[in-house]
Amino acid sequence: MKRIICCRFGDKFTQWHVDNLKYMIDTFSGIQYDTFEVIEEDLYGNWYNKFQMYDKFRDGENLYFDLDVVIYKRLPNLWRKEFTLLDDKWWRPDFGHTPLNSSIVSWTGDVSHIWEKFWPYADVYMKKYNLGSDEFYYKEIEYNIFDPVCPKINTTTPHAAMGIVTLGQLHHLMEEGWTGWWSKYFKPSSLP
Amino acid sequence: MLKICTVYFGDKYTPDYVGKLFRSIRRNSSIQFESICISDDPNVEADIVLPYNRNSPVKLHWHKLKFFSPNYAYQKEGDDIIVMDIDQVITGNVDDLIGHPVEEDELITYGVWWNSDEIVEQGLALETNGGFYKFKSGSLAFVWDDFIRNPEYWQTKWYKDDVVHFKYYGEQNYVNWKVVWDERNKPTKITKTPSEWIAKYHGAKDDYFKNVKLNQKYCKLHDADYMILDDVNTNIKVVHFLGPKETIHEHNFKWIEDNWK
Repeated sequence: MKRIICCRFGDKFTQWHVDNLKYMIDTFSGIQYDTFEVIEEDLYGNWYNKFQMYDKFRDGENLYFDLDVVIYKRLPNLWRKEFTLLDDKWWRPDFGHTPLNSSIVSWTGDVSHIWEKFWPYADVYMKKYNLGSDEFYYKEIEYNIFDPVCPKINTTTPHAAMGIVTLGQLHHLMEEGWTGWWSKYFKPSSLP
Repeated sequence: MLKICTVYFGDKYTPDYVGKLFRSIRRNSSIQFESICISDDPNVEADIVLPYNRNSPVKLHWHKLKFFSPNYAYQKEGDDIIVMDIDQVITGNVDDLIGHPVEEDELITYGVWWNSDEIVEQGLALETNGGFYKFKSGSLAFVWDDFIRNPEYWQTKWYKDDVVHFKYYGEQNYVNWKVVWDERNKPTKITKTPSEWIAKYHGAKDDYFKNVKLNQKYCKLHDADYMILDDVNTNIKVVHFLGPKETIHEHNFKWIEDNWK
């Protein structure tokens, strides 16, 4: 079982963003998978909601993507046996509170220990790591990292050696009215 | 292509401000342009209406800064971009204003004459005015690019510094800072339009004496007989209703009725 996972809650992202991710994966990434899963339950009102996937999906091969990515070329193999996420140090040396980035996460089998460690003390951890859930991984969890595979978008030109970029703080590039090299890779229907 | 861009949101103004601004520019100009509005009301009258995203970290008037990005509003290389506030009444021919030549790395903005002597003497008068910006598409992209790296910081900086008195005000202070003072960027040439082209006016009923003083100051600085009495001085092209509480639609001056339609 190969499972693609994403997470949508609140008003920031819409069904278009989910459809768009699936479209980019199906059209450009070359990734083959069996099911496309969406985490929609808003338990915490923030990105700690993503942790629900470690509870819900305890078998098979799993590959998670944030919705604010642009996939524009065939991707290298991202399926991993061990729990693996991105380390941004190679493009973000002054990384602040954490170098980790969970825009892409992969694992095989059961990593529910992450969920089990988090949920009983959710309030404590969300207060301790209030800048985002990625610091939780950095300080509390054993992890592997992907090779450099997903930099932040350059709005002038696509990164030639990569096939996926994260928008980082530039979520607005997915809104109607914004155009650039990335536009032709988005799902060709009305933008949100 | 010339693009004239505005932002409309909330309930301070009414949706017809947008159509009235663009229609009055077309009535008073021979220059072709494309009208664009970021709006939370899809029914405003503009050639292109782009959604005002309430879930964005970008607040209120700060959406205007998006137009500084060449990636926004379907800009093409070589386009001339004008960003205008909607609280303005066009009262004269604006060919020389909207058709003002502009070069790369240059910002055309209103020449403002109404700053108090105290503000000017203290060096606090801004070099730019948020009511009107004109620039070459993309040539001042740093204004947007630097802002969006930390929008919350910039959007509250001037409020926290007690420069402006309403939270999330200060957009023109930011633009002024970026183009005039921020030495990380290459120099931006600031060009001010002739100050006699622009009038500032107060619409509130208890602002009679403020308007008298504005008339006096305009006359003194521009050797004019009046700014706005029953009619608007023919040298004036635009009347700007500046201020957090100022509106146009709540007033029934005949010169507004004649020009704002």
